[in-house]
Amino acid sequence: MKKTVAMLLCGAMTMALLVGCGSSSAETTQTAAEQTEETTEATEETTEETTEATTEETEAAEEANPEADRTTFVVGFDAEYPPYGYMDDNGEYTGFDLELAQAVCDMEGWELTKTPIDWDSKDMELNSGSIDCIWNGFTINGREDDYTWSDPYCDNSQVIVVAEDSGINTLADLAGKNVGVQTASAALSVLSDEEQQKALADTFGSLQQFSDYNSAFSELLAGSLDAIAIDIGVANYQISSRGEGYVILSETLNSEQYGVGFKLGNESLRDIVNADLKKLAEDGTVAELAEKYDISDLICLK
Amino acid sequence: MDFVTILQQLSSGMIKTVGIFFWTLALSLPFGLVIAFGRMSKNKLVSSIFKFYISVMRGTPLMLQLLVVYFGPYYLFGIKLSQGYRFIAIIIGFVLNYAAYYAEIYRSGIESMPVGQYEAATQLGYSKSQTFFKIILPQVIKRILPAITNEVITLVKDTSLAFSLAYMEMFTIAKQIAAAQTTMIPFVVAAVFYYIFNLIVAFTMERIEKKMSYYR
Repeated sequence: MKKTVAMLLCGAMTMALLVGCGSSSAETTQTAAEQTEETTEATEETTEETTEATTEETEAAEEANPEADRTTFVVGFDAEYPPYGYMDDNGEYTGFDLELAQAVCDMEGWELTKTPIDWDSKDMELNSGSIDCIWNGFTINGREDDYTWSDPYCDNSQVIVVAEDSGINTLADLAGKNVGVQTASAALSVLSDEEQQKALADTFGSLQQFSDYNSAFSELLAGSLDAIAIDIGVANYQISSRGEGYVILSETLNSEQYGVGFKLGNESLRDIVNADLKKLAEDGTVAELAEKYDISDLICLK
Repeated sequence: MDFVTILQQLSSGMIKTVGIFFWTLALSLPFGLVIAFGRMSKNKLVSSIFKFYISVMRGTPLMLQLLVVYFGPYYLFGIKLSQGYRFIAIIIGFVLNYAAYYAEIYRSGIESMPVGQYEAATQLGYSKSQTFFKIILPQVIKRILPAITNEVITLVKDTSLAFSLAYMEMFTIAKQIAAAQTTMIPFVVAAVFYYIFNLIVAFTMERIEKKMSYYR
């Protein structure tokens, strides 16, 4: 028995490694899930049976009445991603996306639970059901098949931020330079996609990955980094709160859209949120919030 | 945002950090002794199982273990995770890991005791458990205290790994404030906090060591 537990643990770790390090594609997750199933089958058949039974029950319950008895709405977000989700001066989590989520909850009578997550584990958090959706400047493009998406509500483009006196004025000037990007971010996937800006990224001296933009900006300030690839909304916030010394290159890497990401197949919840977002756009709430967070130009939900 | 506000916001995280620390310590110290016994068992099967356990716990990163404990129930058994499980998973992860280290420290202490003491105790009519708890263990504790202090201090710093499960301990909050305010001050506060915390730990352990050195 002890040995079985140990073996399970071993298998689990391999799996966690796969999921943790893999790209955020659904494929990886699926492979890992399959592997898990195999492990479970091989080691403990009884558990497998119980699991199946439970899953079936849950599924049956969901089919009967999917969202009627929902009382809470758990939003997963990266708390280091202003202005979409961050900690304000009072220690409360706030931001454009979180206030929008609050507005949806007010309409539905749900209680909003704001759960800050580690961005690298977002798929695990979503799949395991510890959060209901990812709502935090979450780029749809390139992830279309990995999540069940709401309608896009915000336009976004990936831009390059450089120090004012760096002498970098165009994307071509970045050749041989050190460029920073957030791990598992949309900017990174743009730069590593063959059909998008992979060719440009290949001209960089190095592409350095950071867990948060704060350390990336510190390195830019310190001079060990020449440029940062970043979402335009985040770039504006960082520059306005840091003051002079940074510029955004007028050439953008791409343009894309933000949406709310639900677990693949969770259409019932998605449809509710979609309908609410539409109403919020019609009654002007969205525009009001956008103005508050200075991203009016980017809103695309009409 | 001024310094006082930053301190106030970090203080809620500090309480959580201290919480992880004490829960882990309180559970892993006794659990470590159990593992140490298993590891020293005369039964080959039992001892090799515990040996394997220790090698896995020491041989893989704590952060990975935390992820396995938290997400494992879903990916292995399809159990939906609830919010309250986050903290429990962190404690389980830390205890499992630290108990393995403590077990090896206990073992080093217990195995360093001369066989003569066991023989003498048997002659004097002590039972096996009496010998261990009345004669061996008090001496073992004295010997292993410096090594335990080392691990306890590491534990204080390792609490920051709870960020991987998005638990709002002090360092996670420090990073969030740093991001929102685009300043490095929270990290300075964090460094001072860990240092003072460890000063207290080191001071307390030294006091205990002094108290224990009653034969010198």
